[in-house]
Amino acid sequence: MEPSTRIFWLPKNGNTAEEYEDAFAHSQCNFSIADGATESSFAERWAQELVKKYVAAPPAGATPSSVQLENWLSPLQKEWHAGIAWDRLPWYAEEKARTGAFAAFLGLQFFESAACPEKRSLFSFWKKPATRKESKWLALAVGDSNLFHLRQSTLLRAFPIERAEQFDTRPLLLSSNPKKNNPVWQRIQMTEGTCQPGDVFLLMTDALANWFLKKTELNANPLPTILNITNEAEFSQFIEEQRLSTALKNDDVTLMVLVWKDSNK
Amino acid sequence: MAEPIANSDGKRKCDSVADAINRLLHNLIIKCARGEGVRNFYEVCVIGYGAQVAPGFSGKLAGRDLVPLSEIANSPARVEERTKQIDDGAGGTITQKVKFPIWFEPLAKGTTPMGQALSMSQHLLSSWVATHPNSYPPIVINITDGEATDSGPGPQSEELRGLATNDGNVLLFNCHISSQSLSPIVFPDHDGELPDSFSRTLYEASSTLPDSLRELARAENFQLGNGAKGFAFNADLVELIRFLDIGTRASNLR
Repeated sequence: MEPSTRIFWLPKNGNTAEEYEDAFAHSQCNFSIADGATESSFAERWAQELVKKYVAAPPAGATPSSVQLENWLSPLQKEWHAGIAWDRLPWYAEEKARTGAFAAFLGLQFFESAACPEKRSLFSFWKKPATRKESKWLALAVGDSNLFHLRQSTLLRAFPIERAEQFDTRPLLLSSNPKKNNPVWQRIQMTEGTCQPGDVFLLMTDALANWFLKKTELNANPLPTILNITNEAEFSQFIEEQRLSTALKNDDVTLMVLVWKDSNK
Repeated sequence: MAEPIANSDGKRKCDSVADAINRLLHNLIIKCARGEGVRNFYEVCVIGYGAQVAPGFSGKLAGRDLVPLSEIANSPARVEERTKQIDDGAGGTITQKVKFPIWFEPLAKGTTPMGQALSMSQHLLSSWVATHPNSYPPIVINITDGEATDSGPGPQSEELRGLATNDGNVLLFNCHISSQSLSPIVFPDHDGELPDSFSRTLYEASSTLPDSLRELARAENFQLGNGAKGFAFNADLVELIRFLDIGTRASNLR
């Protein structure tokens, strides 16, 4: 099996592309999106650093402990801090940056497929090895960027948010300031599953994820709409229409679409 | 206005009001600071009322009414250095020096022409709402330490709350700083616990919080009823604006 990946993004209406504070990255087997919090400074850089690091070297172990996660984050936090010209900042910018940057984060990795052979030895702990046509996946999330796993148009998993009503504007987020992450460690969400040819994985930042869950809850299957988007112009048009109808909150939007195809066919 | 405010170590009430306004501006600026600058999510006007009713900025901004927030951030009249007790991360506290920018100086005065001040806001905002029909409605925060000495605040506040953008009516929050040593009351939905007729008048003149603000306030752990009003008695004003919504905010940010 191998994935085909499409990514679309748009800044909040009224903002420029430079003001877009979401981030995304992927490799053949690792996929990640993040959403820098509007109310923190240098959040776009923090979000970028998180997704790049996850894709290049995700935290070790299937279910990393809080210590492992802290160790994984630590060099990123130092990098973020070192990237700021503290002595050049005016009083307010310095005070703001000292609180740290915050971002919602979602990481998804696949194992045991022909497309991701390098992962096999690391994850041999699985009791039942995946069949040739199946692979395993793991996801990790902090905050409200969401993953949807669909098989034959049926939603198998919404993670970490399962119902639209669970979205609010004060999620717990991953911070560049180590002290601010203390409440996070208890609330990191992890899940796993298996993937078959034809399965679809959608990674969405909160505004679109909220839209997707609401439509699903109303039995208005939103998947065809998402899968029919093949280029940026179509994505922009779709987002603008939904924003105009107020079905979609005006916020930065990121969509990653992954479809697993059977490479042996 | 030279009498001390309750529980504030002999500090004059007018100093407390000025401190509250300076901290309010400070917090609003920090809230809107991004990277190296401040985003102009707000324009702010400070009106002082006492011997006269006039724009209250000191220093470079003197005489200006509505000023974009980034300009306010870059133009304090002066910056004091104060000490603050902060958590040392190991169960104790340490004293840290912090910058305390001053834009507004205390006004000690004999009269309280609150009605005139509210009329001045109404005048300013009537043209603002006409030119910004799709913006979030303006918020007026009236901080007072005493009873109006003119016909305010009843009729003027009603007129002010009548202004609207397409997103709702102008919101009037009243904040009563009293010299009575009583516990703070924030966002009450009835006036039964308010100590005097002046507090009740101010409560009456305050806007009912719209649903969205009420939910945001609840998310910040304020306990409030469905009819909660934008009124605070002897309360820390900075608390009042903590929840003004400008986008996603981490619940672990504080």
